[in-house]
Amino acid sequence: MSELEFQRVYDATAGPILGYLVAVTGRREVADDLLQETFCRLLVHRKARAGLDAQETRRYLFRIATNLLRDRWRSGEDRPFAEPAEAGALPSLESTIDIRAMLKHLKSRERELLWLAYVEGMDHAEIAAATGLGRLSVRTLLFRARNKAKRFLGQGELV
Amino acid sequence: MSHQDEQFRQAMRGYAAGLLECQPLPPASVIWLRAERRRRRLAIERAERPLRIMQAVGLVCAVFAAVWMLYRAGTLNQLSTVGSRGLIWVVAGAMLMIGGCWTLVVVSRRPLS
Repeated sequence: MSELEFQRVYDATAGPILGYLVAVTGRREVADDLLQETFCRLLVHRKARAGLDAQETRRYLFRIATNLLRDRWRSGEDRPFAEPAEAGALPSLESTIDIRAMLKHLKSRERELLWLAYVEGMDHAEIAAATGLGRLSVRTLLFRARNKAKRFLGQGELV
Repeated sequence: MSHQDEQFRQAMRGYAAGLLECQPLPPASVIWLRAERRRRRLAIERAERPLRIMQAVGLVCAVFAAVWMLYRAGTLNQLSTVGSRGLIWVVAGAMLMIGGCWTLVVVSRRPLS
């Protein structure tokens, strides 16, 4: 992979990966570190990704990011969700429901699954590939996470 | 997909868009350089691996040789023929052999800078 090619991949995927990491960890500085490590691993293990198309590369990057998140949890480095600061105008719907509070209420894995399903628009098979979980497990865990999120947002207009 | 699901999706995407607006990405060139440095370090480590294995094998051989020399010198029927001077030479030789190998291993693992 040349530097130009890498720049192209980075421009196309870094934003979504960073959003995912910020949403799951709730910490910008941790998300930044993990983002850099994710792309470093992509570059260091070039052979593993040889022949992957854009979509597969994207999934592969989410897989690396998810594995790094798992490593953090296992090593006990994981700290509580810190509600990252956000700026900019949000859609009007956002003002009625508190997604941030909902994410904080959920477990890391639930945040992961909901983010991949609803923000990244991945189907069960893609989420399974990105997280390393079985397809049936994804289905069950996502169903539970969705219900938990909806129950939490129950006071709002969503449910 | 139900209306609720669609509403939820929109809310999540709205949140994601707001989240990324204030999050500048680290430059790709920084990550590229970091990866290059790591790749170089890994390549050096890979190249050094056989050398390290041979060093470890050498050290083990030196220990065995030293123990064997001491054993040969220390057996009862040979003690009389070797004498105390000979014994000192054998012990010194064994120590020199182990010490030399140990120094080689330690020096080769020290960083270059």
